[in-house]
Amino acid sequence: MSLLSFHDVHALYGQARILNGLSFDIGAGERVALVGRNGVGKTTVVNTLCGVTRIERGHVAIRGKAMRDLQRYTAAQNGISVVLQGRGIITNLTVEENLLLGAATGRRGPWSLASVKELFPILEERKASLGLALSGGQQQMLAIGRALMANPDLLILDEPSEGLAPVIVDELAELLVRLGNDGMGILLIEQSVGLIRRVAERFYVLSKGAVAASGPLADIGAEEFQQHIAI
Amino acid sequence: MAIQLLNGVVYGGLLYLLAVGLVLIFGLREVVNFAHGALFMLGSYVGYTLAASGQWWLGLLVSVVFMAAVGCVLDALVFRSLRKHDHIVTVLITFGLLLILETVVTVTWGKAYLSYPVPKLLAGTVEIAGSPFPIYRLFIIAVSLLVAAGLAAWLRFTRMGLYVRAASTNAHVTSIQGIDVDRLSLVVVGLGTALAGLSGVVAGPLLTLSPTMGNYILIDSFIVVVIGGLGSFGGAFIAALLIGQIHNLGAIYLPWAATMLPFLLMIGILIWRPTGFAGSRT
Repeated sequence: MSLLSFHDVHALYGQARILNGLSFDIGAGERVALVGRNGVGKTTVVNTLCGVTRIERGHVAIRGKAMRDLQRYTAAQNGISVVLQGRGIITNLTVEENLLLGAATGRRGPWSLASVKELFPILEERKASLGLALSGGQQQMLAIGRALMANPDLLILDEPSEGLAPVIVDELAELLVRLGNDGMGILLIEQSVGLIRRVAERFYVLSKGAVAASGPLADIGAEEFQQHIAI
Repeated sequence: MAIQLLNGVVYGGLLYLLAVGLVLIFGLREVVNFAHGALFMLGSYVGYTLAASGQWWLGLLVSVVFMAAVGCVLDALVFRSLRKHDHIVTVLITFGLLLILETVVTVTWGKAYLSYPVPKLLAGTVEIAGSPFPIYRLFIIAVSLLVAAGLAAWLRFTRMGLYVRAASTNAHVTSIQGIDVDRLSLVVVGLGTALAGLSGVVAGPLLTLSPTMGNYILIDSFIVVVIGGLGSFGGAFIAALLIGQIHNLGAIYLPWAATMLPFLLMIGILIWRPTGFAGSRT
């Protein structure tokens, strides 16, 4: 059974239709990339899942169950954590308070304040600092750590490499592969081909709000993949 | 002088009780609630109904509970939908609410000015610095400090307080973490409105009850919120004490300019620091 699936979703942002019959699915423990140029609707996928964008037709299903009334909190309460583009750190809360916010759903699992800090020791060192005082890389760690605090079955990351140094992107890739190997599903919404190829097993290319191409990453060469993104 | 300063603290305490409700509601709903003074007035009248028959403390309790319920209804029926509209719509709707509440009170209790009794337990004076000072005014200071300390502890040390602080800064990100911000707002707006009821009852014996009694103190409360910083609880506390002193000392030493002083202070502070003492929003 799919953990998350979009079925022929047409979604509107205001009066503008951004998604035009988008269908894709992610199974438990899969590492999937959603790619495409700017403006093709990648972030709208997150916004639709979080009830920000209105669904005109089609539906979103979580574990096979069609979600009729998607609210911003629906995904998290159903085991899907989102790391937003720009990270979404609450700037006037401390690092530790930001992490505790991630545990709001009360889902039990391997991730706790202690295990997240063990994964990212810098968050322990800077636990009393305000979110706005962190560097870009540290904010990304905090955003991922906060998402893990919800003990999700699926982790969605929207442009996580944006603004990060290459060495941090390498660490991010290793982490996401490790989380995937531990059974967590990963949906990577990304433009960095290097990060996608290191993390994802399958890909969907979005164009004009629908899937233009898809398949396993192992079956496709870097150049051909790059061409897909440049559609 | 000590008495004058204490009187300033009394008015500052009342302003805080009212302003903190505005801060709570603005923080979560981004609604500038022009009806808050009318809610203060309604709370005062509800409490008065029982206080006039000798049940002052029951009046306080009933007013707080009733106003909390009014706040929950307002949040569910009005403030929730206002979130999607421009600020001018919010201003018009909440101003309309103010007029409705004033009319309801006028029809129910009449236009006549009413005197609010002081509870027997708190009648009389104590001597401070050689001058008599009403015990009731000390009670107002105590209530304000208790509310400030209780709110600070709730916001700082509880899960819900953490969610309120988070949602006051970024409701979208907070709800993405799985928190139902609408449900949270119901509690917060209920609390903010209950505090308007509390301040209405507590202020009752110092003021004369009339359907327009909330308008003047609301203006000072808005100044407190702006000076303290939009959405800042600590900033509101400091600003309320400051405006309380300016209001009181201004009336004694600069009576010709007393009504202008809070506005002049607000202008000065906004030029110096557009976000207020502790706010992050302009």
